[in-house]
Order: sequence, then structure tokens, then C-alpha cells
Amino acid sequence: MHPALTIAGKDLRQRLRDKSAIVLGLLAPLAIAALMSFAFGSAQTFHLDTAIVDEDHGELAAAFTSMLSSDDLSDLVTLVPATSRADAESKLDNGEVAAVFVIPAGFTAAAHGGGAVPVTVLGTVDQPVATQVGTAIANAFVARFNAVRLSVGVAVAGRTPPSDALVADAARAALPEQVVARSAGTRPLDAISYYGPGMGIFFTMFATGFTARGYFAERANGTLDRITAAPVGPGTVLAGKSLATFGYALASLTTMAVVTTLVFDAYWGPPAAAGALIIAISLALVGLTALVIAISRTERQADGLAGIATFALVLLGGNFVSLSMAPAALRTLALFTPNGWAMRGFTDLSTGAEASAIVLPLAAMLGFTAATTAIAMFLIRRTVTR
Amino acid sequence: MDGALTLTDTRSDRGADTPAAVLDCAGLTRSFGDRLAIDDVSLRIAPGETYGLLGPNGAGKSTTIRMVCGLLTADAGTVTVAGLPMTPGAPARALVGYVPQDVALYPDLTARENLRFFGHMYRLRGKQLAERVAEVLDLTGLTDRGGDRVESFSGGMRRRLNIGAALLHRPTLLVLDEPTVGVDPQSRHAILDSVRAFGAAGMAVLYTTHYMEEAERICDRVGIIDHGKLIAEGTPRELVAQVAERDRVELTATGNLPGFATACAALTGVTHTDSGDGMVTLLVEDGRAVLPAVLDAAERADIAVRSVQVVEPDLESVFLHLTGTSLRE
Repeated sequence: MHPALTIAGKDLRQRLRDKSAIVLGLLAPLAIAALMSFAFGSAQTFHLDTAIVDEDHGELAAAFTSMLSSDDLSDLVTLVPATSRADAESKLDNGEVAAVFVIPAGFTAAAHGGGAVPVTVLGTVDQPVATQVGTAIANAFVARFNAVRLSVGVAVAGRTPPSDALVADAARAALPEQVVARSAGTRPLDAISYYGPGMGIFFTMFATGFTARGYFAERANGTLDRITAAPVGPGTVLAGKSLATFGYALASLTTMAVVTTLVFDAYWGPPAAAGALIIAISLALVGLTALVIAISRTERQADGLAGIATFALVLLGGNFVSLSMAPAALRTLALFTPNGWAMRGFTDLSTGAEASAIVLPLAAMLGFTAATTAIAMFLIRRTVTR
Repeated sequence: MDGALTLTDTRSDRGADTPAAVLDCAGLTRSFGDRLAIDDVSLRIAPGETYGLLGPNGAGKSTTIRMVCGLLTADAGTVTVAGLPMTPGAPARALVGYVPQDVALYPDLTARENLRFFGHMYRLRGKQLAERVAEVLDLTGLTDRGGDRVESFSGGMRRRLNIGAALLHRPTLLVLDEPTVGVDPQSRHAILDSVRAFGAAGMAVLYTTHYMEEAERICDRVGIIDHGKLIAEGTPRELVAQVAERDRVELTATGNLPGFATACAALTGVTHTDSGDGMVTLLVEDGRAVLPAVLDAAERADIAVRSVQVVEPDLESVFLHLTGTSLRE
């Protein structure tokens, strides 16, 4: 066995005898992933409880109410009866409904006459998304009404006599659905499938700090001298230490994948492709560990540097918050982080994308590994025995 | 320490072409910034010879050892072990067993795991490694504790294992960096006996210390190092002969000791003086003859003398003779 592997094996043995390694490597990411899935998982199944205050009592108001209670919106909207505007506002205040549609008197008449008496959507600051969705629904209804009115107006201008049949025909002639939301794959992205890898990677990144601190602790207690006095190359110790990070990250992420899949029904993607991503991000952490060791001069420096690197990378890489919600600049910066590429790969796989979707993330992570390792080896060869 | 390490003669394992000098240091020089730490140090150690590098703290002993073991590069000069140059990753390293000053073991691993690990570093494998681990555990008297973590060991047991870890690969040269610092008298005695045994078994030993009695007791030859320079070298007998028949007079006293030392320097028969740590040390031609004059001088200088000791010539006297200061910490 190569001495680097022996050093890695020794480090892993020491790590596993330390209970905190189990906590940080498995229990903590599992718990945080589960909590975040619970907290944000409901965002995947949005539902709007709403009430209508019909002060118009016209046919257009009836059509709007009918649309809200239609089968098309049954998964999204539930109509809660309200006897008056005051009753509806009371329900809004106590949280029974998240938004209230107020159809003012004269709404139908104004529409037929070409005027405008707008529908009001009442919301609360606690649930701004519900207000936005309610506004979007109202806008969609008005837009569709305007489309029918325009169609009828055009027909009348072409000397077709106005009639109810003409209006009905115009209403049926609506365009087919033009906009369909789809992810890169074919499956919806559920929270645990995102936060499982996200938290797993985050906590394994702490291994860089453990390993780097361990290197300097060995230097302080003389075991590093003892190793380097042996016939091993100057980079062997660094390689061995870094490989320990690889082993720890590989074991931790693999266990996370298996446990979240079996217990929380997470989907990390096809096993071979997910495994490739796990190996790649574990290798990237090897390079990062080597770089932290090579740059640092003391245990304290290594600790601080590893901590800064870990938190900077997870914030930039989207381990906590999906980068789809981040500003463009942050999404660009994520391209320089190995964990950002890993999250991109895992997200694609978990939404059903083809395995080929991870080729670019793999290449990026391996490139990061090669660059950081090369820099670290250059620096360590300059400093050893100096 | 419970007992000394014992060793069998391994000289027959090394073949007939063993070079005359196991360790050959030539012109070693090393600076740290503007400070010249080692200045043109040259020394040779033959097979089976125990060489003591004697000097006060900060004299350059550890720096020399680090260069000998390849842990530090020399600004100038060369180190060869059995004719092989000592460079990073060089085969010469496989011939050296290094015992650091402090216990350098993994406390959370067992004694056996520690030995297996360091054996691996010297490319020992499989059956050979298992045999050597068992032998070293036996040698250090730790066979029964091989499965226990080092953190549960006494200080003496750790010291033995610390030395044992350097013996796994049967080194041609054993380098010990002040292995008795901070060690209780019993363990110290056992370590010295062990080092003596290593030399008797044919191993070349480089031993650093600032205790002259250790050097006198176990070393075939001694090099005296001060301010980075090797200022004298020879057998203890040869070195002592340099100060002829001079005695050393040690007075423990209170008062203006530097002034008292200066006054003593003017006395007939006093060749060197030094003071510090509540003690005045004099190198004199005849201790008994000069003692009355010294005590008179003490009385005149209002020095309260608590004890007086007249010591036959030894390495301490040599160091005082050569450097003008005593070999105290």
C-alpha cells in the first residue's frame, strides 16, 4: 500500500473514533435536510384559499365565480363562502383565507359599456405570494374577457350582426395553452432531493477544516517530522491527508444518498450518475483541503481559512437556497464553485434529466480539483524542509 | 520506565561492504534569516559508535539533527548516510531511525497501530511488518499493552514506544534528540542503558544532550557544540585531558555573584570563572589549595556561601574551559 493511502487510512480511523465525525458526516446533514424539506417542501404544492365578495351580481361576476370553482383550478384554489365584505375581511384577518376578490357594483355593466371598474384583490403581508397569485388569476380572467370582446367587435365591424351565438363562438375560439412550465428533466424537483445533496455537501466541506487542522496538529506534536523523516516524498503527507478527506466525503455523501432515498423518498438520480457526482465533489474537496494546508502556516490559519472557504462556497454554490432564485451575478459566481456544479448536476438528475446532463458539472469539478491540487503541490514543495 | 530496551547484534545483517562512516556530515551550515544557527559543522560516526552532541540549549543540536534526518536543508555542506546522500525522499532516509525529543505518537491509536503505521512509512509490509511490530513490542516490554491506546500509557511507556517506533526498520543510524528531557530519573537511567545497548549491537547512534553526565556515561565520542560551531571533539577522556588536571569548584551562594566571580578570577590558580542561577563555577588548578582563598574572597565580598563542591575534571569542566560559560540550561 502506498504511504499516502496508509496516512489516509490512519486519519480515517482516527476520525471515525471521534464521535463528532458521525454527527457532522451523517446526523447533522440528515437532520438539517429533513428540516429544510419540511420548511420549504410546501412551496412545491401551493394552494390558495380565497373568498369572493360579489357586489356586482352581474353575469360577468357570476362567470368569474364560476371560473374560480371550476375543475381546472380545483387543485390550486378553494372558494370559502363569505356573506359580506366584512365577513371576507374578517376571514382574511384570521387566516381562514389568504386572498379576497372584491367584484365591485357595476363591474358587468362597465365591461359591456367599454368602461373599467376594476376587481380588487385583498391580501395580507403574511402571504404575499397568495396576493400575487390572486392578482394573476383576476388579470387572466379580464384578459380573456377582453379577447372575446375584441373578437366580437371585429366581427361586428365586418357587418356580422351581434348575437349571443357570436359571443359564445368567440369565447370558444380561445388560443390553446401557449406557455408550459417545465424543468430540465421530466420530474418535479422536491425539497428533500435538493436539500439532501445540499446539506450533505455542506457538512462534508467541514472535513477540509478537520484535515487541515490535523496536519498542523501533527506538525506540533512531532508526528509529521517522524513521517517526513521516513523515505516518503514531500507531497505524500499532503496527498495522504487530502485522501482522508476524499474517503470521509465519499462515505458521508453515499450514506446521505442511501438514507434520504430510503427514509425520505428523495431522488438523487440514477445511481451511476449520482455516484459519479459524489466522487467528483469528493475529489474537489481533496484539492480544496490540499490548498488550505499549503497556503496556511498555522493550525489557526488553517481553521480560519477552511471555515471561510466552506461558508463562501456553500453560499455561492446554492447549497442553502436554489440559485434559480438568486441574482444573475450570484449565478455567475456559482460557476466557479465545485459545490455549485455539483448542485447543478444533482438538480438535473433529480428532475429526470439524462445522465449526459452531468458531463459539464463533472468536467468543472475535475478541473477545480486539478487546479487546486497543482497549486497546492507547487506551494508545498517550496516550503517543505525550508 | 520499567526497564531498558534490549537489542541483539544486527551487524551481520548489513553485509561486508558497510562503509567506514555510517554518518558523514561535511561543512554543514544553516542560517535562519540573519542568524547563523550552524556554522561549518563536520562530524563522522562509525558503525557501533555512539556519538554525543553536547551543548547548551540553543547551541544548534536540534538544527544539526534535523539536517542529518533530512527534515531541514542545509545552506551549505552535505550529509551522507552509509554513503548515500540525504535529500528529500532519498533512500538514505530508510537507514535512519529518528527519535524526536517529545513523544511523537498518536495517542488515540493503540501501540500496535502506531507501530504498524510508522512501519508502513518505512515500507515494511505483511509478515515482515507483523514480525517487527511484535519484536519491538517485546523489546519495549509492551507486548501485553499492544492493543491499548497510547493515551492510557504512563510517561515511561510512551518514551519506550517513542524509541521503539524508530527501531522498526532496523536503522543503520539511530538519531535521538534529547530523549531524556523531562523524564524521571528511573526512566532516564533505563533510556541510557538502552542507548548503550544499541551501540553495542552495532548501530551507529547520534545522541544529543545538554547533560554532560549522560554524554560521559554512554558516548564513545563527544562533540561539543556552542553557538552553532563544533568547538571540540573526541572521546570523553581526550576532552577531559584538554583541561589537564583542573578541578571545578562550584559554590552555591547569594550576593553579588558576578562581582564575586570577577574577584575570584584574580586569585592565583583560578583559570576560568562563571556565575549564574545562584551559583559561581571556577575552574582551578588545585581545588583544595585554592579553596581557602576563595572563601576569604567570599567573605570580603559579603557573599553568603551555602555550599561548596570540588569536582574532578569532567566534560562540564571542558565546556567551561572552552567557552568560558558553564553547561547549564
